[in-house]
Amino acid sequence: MSSRALRQPVSLRLTSNIFLALWCLIAAFPIFWIVVMSFKSPVDAFDSNALNVIFGPATLGVGKGLSLLDIILGIAVIWGTILAATKPLPSMVKSYSKPGQEWFGWLAGVVVLLVGFLLVFFVILPVVLNVLNPLFGPLGRDILGLTTEHYKTVWIDRGFSNNFKNSLIVTTGVVTVSLTVGTLAGYGLARSGSTLAFWILIVALVFRALPHSVLVAGYLPVFINSAEWLAPILGENAPTLYGKPFAVIAVLVAINQPFTIWMLRSFFQNIPAELDEAARVDGCSHFQAFRRVIMPVMWPGVITTGLFSFLLAYNDFLVTALLLDAQNQTMVPAIVGMFNRETTTTDQVVAVAAAVSITAPLIFLVLIFQRQIVSGLTAGAVKG
Amino acid sequence: MAEIQLRNVGKRWGSFVGVHNFDLTIADREFLVLLGPSGCGKTTTMRMIAGLEDATEGNILIDGKVVNDLEPKDRDVAMVFQSYALYPNMNVYENIRFPLKVRGIDPDTHDEKVRRASAMVELDDFLHRKPAELSGGQRQRVALARAIVREPNVFLMDEPLSNLDAKLRVSTRAQIKNLSHELAVTTIYVTHDQIEAMTLADRVVVMKQGVVQQVGSPTEIYDRPANTFVAGFIGSPAMNLMEGEVSGGVFRADHAEIPVDAPDGPMTLGFRAEDASLADAGGQITAPIYTLELLGDATMISVRVGGALVSVKADKTFRAEIGEPVSFSVPKDICHLFEAGSGARIGG
Repeated sequence: MSSRALRQPVSLRLTSNIFLALWCLIAAFPIFWIVVMSFKSPVDAFDSNALNVIFGPATLGVGKGLSLLDIILGIAVIWGTILAATKPLPSMVKSYSKPGQEWFGWLAGVVVLLVGFLLVFFVILPVVLNVLNPLFGPLGRDILGLTTEHYKTVWIDRGFSNNFKNSLIVTTGVVTVSLTVGTLAGYGLARSGSTLAFWILIVALVFRALPHSVLVAGYLPVFINSAEWLAPILGENAPTLYGKPFAVIAVLVAINQPFTIWMLRSFFQNIPAELDEAARVDGCSHFQAFRRVIMPVMWPGVITTGLFSFLLAYNDFLVTALLLDAQNQTMVPAIVGMFNRETTTTDQVVAVAAAVSITAPLIFLVLIFQRQIVSGLTAGAVKG
Repeated sequence: MAEIQLRNVGKRWGSFVGVHNFDLTIADREFLVLLGPSGCGKTTTMRMIAGLEDATEGNILIDGKVVNDLEPKDRDVAMVFQSYALYPNMNVYENIRFPLKVRGIDPDTHDEKVRRASAMVELDDFLHRKPAELSGGQRQRVALARAIVREPNVFLMDEPLSNLDAKLRVSTRAQIKNLSHELAVTTIYVTHDQIEAMTLADRVVVMKQGVVQQVGSPTEIYDRPANTFVAGFIGSPAMNLMEGEVSGGVFRADHAEIPVDAPDGPMTLGFRAEDASLADAGGQITAPIYTLELLGDATMISVRVGGALVSVKADKTFRAEIGEPVSFSVPKDICHLFEAGSGARIGG
């Protein structure tokens, strides 16, 4: 960076920085704003004065708010958790878990940290602050209106937890099937030099180009009549797949699979074929070479592809809205339903809270896997 | 302990012939080098022995057993790849141990075997490094250790030195020679570098465009090349080859008049630069100097004879200007004669 040749003129740097700042503002503002809105009473959330939306006087008026002390301690706990997660956690995982089973150590460590955070933040902190706030005078007085009641309404009263569970089923199904089929197919196609492999890839591309609604329309009669055509195999218990998560998983996998295969194939192509050959000479069968030598090198690619599959399934509206019955509804159609209702402002804020709820896991996911995603996107990083 | 027999082995992709009619028996504990320019089929031949490529014709036998349909893992061969092909996610120790692990060899013996193999290639201090943290030479040695750790029947080495720099190549070459002597395992070694072939081999197979040109000990190949291709490929510098006409027991080309024992007709004559010598006058070749190269231990004088460049090694103190006439003495007994069309050797 300090090299003279790479130094940019001030004007260019200024322009690019201003552009970046502007872009961040435009991109981040809606998310910031719905987060703020979701914690306010409807009067504040739709106030014409932006400052009122942020500080929430009406929310404060009904006795829901945070004092300066609350904010400071709250931020301290969150900061402490982040520090613990980035510094001591990795080293502790390394020292306590057996080599080769680090993933288990990570799982245990993350669960412990998460439970600890939830316990401190939602149980211990409120109790402590209840005692402390009166003692600190002006510091302990509420200044920022904030209420979590909309989240309670969404998750408990409106049954959003059920939608969450359904989303979880659908995304888990789609990611699992896409990655299993995708890695095997991608590996096979990457290592095969035949013209058939080439044509399979082209056909996959054509399917990828089809509008999603066409696929859904094609699948619909099959799923509605599934009890009939499954009867010879499953007998009387043959289910009607229409409305069930399975139907959505099948369609989303069909939509997503060409992309996964293409992407994983290009990752596999970056891994030199000599690696499989060395493994096979060393004593592996074809499949063992794939599992013991190639897959461990492939993780960045698998995680990146898995994330894209996850996003497709998680954010899908068309397929889930058309194929799922009310009982199995996932989060995105549920939120659209909330916005579409004849609503009061309260309902609108509740819908906003739901929208925040659906965004948060995505941000966490990307943060957790960012290193693998970056190394996956900057392909070639997997070379030995 | 393994004798390898290749019986009329061939490989074709569609109409392209990779290896044609390769027929050879490789004795137990022999160090065989497959030598040729790139694309000559030497690597394909090795890969067919390893089982990474299917032979489209003929049979491959290891210890008298046809292995054409066996998976690589069932042939008990070990291979060192040109690009090393180390497993990037494992450290050196795990890399060397991998063959033992996948073959289900008693885990209690692993540590001892890995340490013995790593000691043989002097890697003891690097066992916990990842391949990415090693230099090229060290990676090469990890690949060697991984191949020797389970004491296979056959060693296959695919240009193991070509990614190393010149100095390291010499020392690793010596190490390979020493290892193969110590382990006494049948070894097949692929290279395009004729010096490696000369220094390492018990026997050399020279190949060109999928066809075996000559099989023989390094000295045989050097002293009695079977055709002009082998003559021009082996040796540094390669043999001088001149095209000309024999009539009445004298080979004639521009500037050259060399008495030979051969019937009349068009012919190619060859001799090695170090066999000929400078003559004061009246040598068999007399021509103006085309170029003069100082090699340190000698001076290489080149002249043009017909279309070809002919070089002769002279004393290191020899100095002359380009364009000055010079005369070489080329006695009959250092000359090799080849047929003009086919390039095949004439006479003994």
